[in-house]
Amino acid sequence: MAIVLLVMLLLRVRDPVPGMMGKQATVEDIANKREELGLNRPRYVQYFTLLQQMVTFDFSQELWTQPGMTVGELLRKSVPISLLLTLPALFLTTVISVCIGMISAYARGRLLDKILVFFAVLGMSISFLVYIIFGQYFGSYQLGRLVGQPVFSIHGYEPGLQNWAYYMLLPVLISVIVSMGYNTRFYRAVMVEETTQDYITTAWSKGASTSKIMFVHMLRNAMIPIITRIMITLPLLVTGSILLERFFGIPGMGDALLSAISNNDFPVIEVFSSIFAGLFICSIILTDVLYAVFDPRVRLQ
Amino acid sequence: MRRLLAQLVSVWCLAMVVGCSPSTEDNGEKVLYLPMETAGPNSLDPVKGSSQYDSRASSYVYQTLLQYKYLHRPLELEPLLLTEMPEVSEDGKLYRFKLRQDVFFHDDECFPEGKGRRLVSEDFFYSLKRMASKKNQPKSWWLMADTIVGFDEFKAEQNEANEFDYDAPVEGMKILNDHEFEIQLKEPFYRFTYTLAMFQTAVVPREAVEHYGKKFSRHPVGTGPFLLKEWEAGSSMTFVKNPNYWEETYPNDPGLNKDGSEPYLGYLRDKELGFYQDAGKKLPIIDRVELKMFVQKQPMWLKFRIRELDYTAVPAENFSEAYIKRTQKLRKEYADMGIRSEPVPLVDLIYYGFNMEDEDFGGYDDRQKWLRQAISLAIDWEERNEAFYNNLNGIYDGPIPASLAGHPKNGSLPYAYRGPDLARARKLLVKAGYPEGKGVPKLVFFTSRAARLAEMAEMSKRHLAKIGIELDVRLVDFSTLTDALRNRRAPFFGLSWVSDYPDAENFLQLFYGPFKSPSSNNFNYDRPEYNKLYERIRVMSPSSERTELYEQMRDMVIEDAPMIGSMERTRYFLINKRLQNCKPIESFKLAQVPQRQIAEISQEPINRCGPTLSAGSFTTFPSSWRLCCW
Repeated sequence: MAIVLLVMLLLRVRDPVPGMMGKQATVEDIANKREELGLNRPRYVQYFTLLQQMVTFDFSQELWTQPGMTVGELLRKSVPISLLLTLPALFLTTVISVCIGMISAYARGRLLDKILVFFAVLGMSISFLVYIIFGQYFGSYQLGRLVGQPVFSIHGYEPGLQNWAYYMLLPVLISVIVSMGYNTRFYRAVMVEETTQDYITTAWSKGASTSKIMFVHMLRNAMIPIITRIMITLPLLVTGSILLERFFGIPGMGDALLSAISNNDFPVIEVFSSIFAGLFICSIILTDVLYAVFDPRVRLQ
Repeated sequence: MRRLLAQLVSVWCLAMVVGCSPSTEDNGEKVLYLPMETAGPNSLDPVKGSSQYDSRASSYVYQTLLQYKYLHRPLELEPLLLTEMPEVSEDGKLYRFKLRQDVFFHDDECFPEGKGRRLVSEDFFYSLKRMASKKNQPKSWWLMADTIVGFDEFKAEQNEANEFDYDAPVEGMKILNDHEFEIQLKEPFYRFTYTLAMFQTAVVPREAVEHYGKKFSRHPVGTGPFLLKEWEAGSSMTFVKNPNYWEETYPNDPGLNKDGSEPYLGYLRDKELGFYQDAGKKLPIIDRVELKMFVQKQPMWLKFRIRELDYTAVPAENFSEAYIKRTQKLRKEYADMGIRSEPVPLVDLIYYGFNMEDEDFGGYDDRQKWLRQAISLAIDWEERNEAFYNNLNGIYDGPIPASLAGHPKNGSLPYAYRGPDLARARKLLVKAGYPEGKGVPKLVFFTSRAARLAEMAEMSKRHLAKIGIELDVRLVDFSTLTDALRNRRAPFFGLSWVSDYPDAENFLQLFYGPFKSPSSNNFNYDRPEYNKLYERIRVMSPSSERTELYEQMRDMVIEDAPMIGSMERTRYFLINKRLQNCKPIESFKLAQVPQRQIAEISQEPINRCGPTLSAGSFTTFPSSWRLCCW
């Protein structure tokens, strides 16, 4: 994590201040701004200050592009909104993809399997942006015209769980459709591998039903790759979805991060990268713990 | 499995019902739903703002001494916080102001007992002095630099002192009493009057600045007609009516002149559109403004189409959907819905510039000049206009946009170097010693990475290739571009200039020698004759003599060709039927629509889906509402 932060600091090759101050700024204005932001200090001082802030969870730095707002305030506001989008999307994607993966594996080589794989590959081949633009146009605009009143929001956000479906359901569905192609292919491969295992033959021999074999025997044994895949995506839940949030006007972390990157708002980028790195480390540790929970052969030492 | 599917379907159905419960028309309030094509303003502190978005958001809560007349075209100033226009001495250096005595700041906890106090002379000087303090990181000092007697010295002294003393006197600022004050200028700068209408000079109360400290940027307290109720950064802003707003009224009908002529350009049209129906009515007419931020244009356009927004600027990619491209007339489908079209020419300048200090392409001798003129003759502005702007923009010679004194008649001059004229360009190249472009070094071109500029650069590359000149395109972010210009490292660059006030001086100063980079003269053009003329015009008030000097300066720029151009944009606005009194403007970093003045809203409700109501309200949804909206 320290290395990530160091690299980030060194990568500040461009001076963000001239762009920030606009065309009319004088040399003096720029120098004053650099001083205020602490960019005139030696790099190592900036680096250790940053490290200290991260270690002490000090997120009180003011945003460069939004004076009067701290990084902590931004995180507190944006992360929960992103989670409202990413958590249901992850849940639905995983449940649906695992189910389709199992069905596809069960019907391996047959027409049903081929159709499912065809749609999965098709889903993977179309750009995320196309789903968003078409989803917004047909799912929100045209559907609203057809029904006679707005069904899903085209753009915007209002807090409150009662508003969730209106503002979030369409982006969640788009996210699910986009992710399903990749996930279905992956889970199908995992399940196909499991169907060739000896314990499946044993279960068949003992007369277990198809559903029991699939949802109890096979699913439990396939949990290791499933957990690995889910855990890898956990830190990404906090980052939200940059494209979905931007197009649907959802003020989540993805949108905030994109704005910060395009405006060279270093405090946001630095804090967020640190949090992301921290979450990534935590998710790896948690993955190992969950391996032990689901597979008795794995023991923590 | 079956149970799981059933549960998913149930969740879906529930979501559909809850998600589609529309509200009534905002409890009878008159609410405007307006778009802003950005992630939003950065700050609502006037001295920290610089963009038109900052200006637009600030205009709801803050006010300046002067403002532009709402309906008048061409734009003309009128008093806002003053009782009358400032009295100017004969030598044009001494300005005397009289403040209105019925103006109060918003009620806010920064005041004793939360009650806003009356505006006094000292507030204006305090607000100006904030522009001088480096602690405030002002972006607007250039407006005041070298203008008011003793102000530059005050700035230097106070910034060097341990603490910035706002009570320290400035020689050229004199308070006569609570509502009268004087300002003494160093020279009779005519542009100073325009400065008083710019949002950076808006009046703020000292109590609020000291009370909120750094948070003042997000907690504005002013004298304006609205209060900021909510600000969801990057998403929306809500402004509500100021209950204690002073007696500002909607403009009165001036009537036709005695000779039957219009009192201003477009008066009869305004009359026909009913812009004077609310003459004399107390402002603001509306109760609440909901400002929605859009970084992407598709959602903004779709929201306008379903009438969730009261107006929109038409995105270029949707232009032919709403207009017949050839005639630029609104399509029948839109006109039948009562949608009104308002094309608004922007007073701006889109150009390519040379760094006159560049060894290969800069310089003032004939060979260097001919080379630049040849390059200018190779660029095809018409093609660019057709390909990227639906042929809607204006193309003209020189740096002065239409509607300003000094603009050439019909936009063209016979002696200008506007392309495409490849034969003439090749002749000039031969004269310059580069037949067929042989021997011309690669022309390094800096331009921003913003939308479609890469494609435009490719087009220019093709244009120059026709005369044998190679364009080396550097697509950079805005910060790098600014840095390259400041450090005079960009031999050739693409930029635009949006006017700060309606005077060609604002464009001609871009070529004034002492303003060379890092100041606003990015061309680093420095011709003594031009500089002398600029020093004359900046202290002159509008007159035919001044216009003649403008034309001389314009012609110098055309002949020396530090700039290739020019183009100015026209923005097309569509306004929904229910929004009346709306006359858009997009110049001088003013609001697109000065909402403070507009907005009588008809009874036709906006098509707003308010999911905050319970599902029950769905059944009470009036059918007429739907007919209205679709």
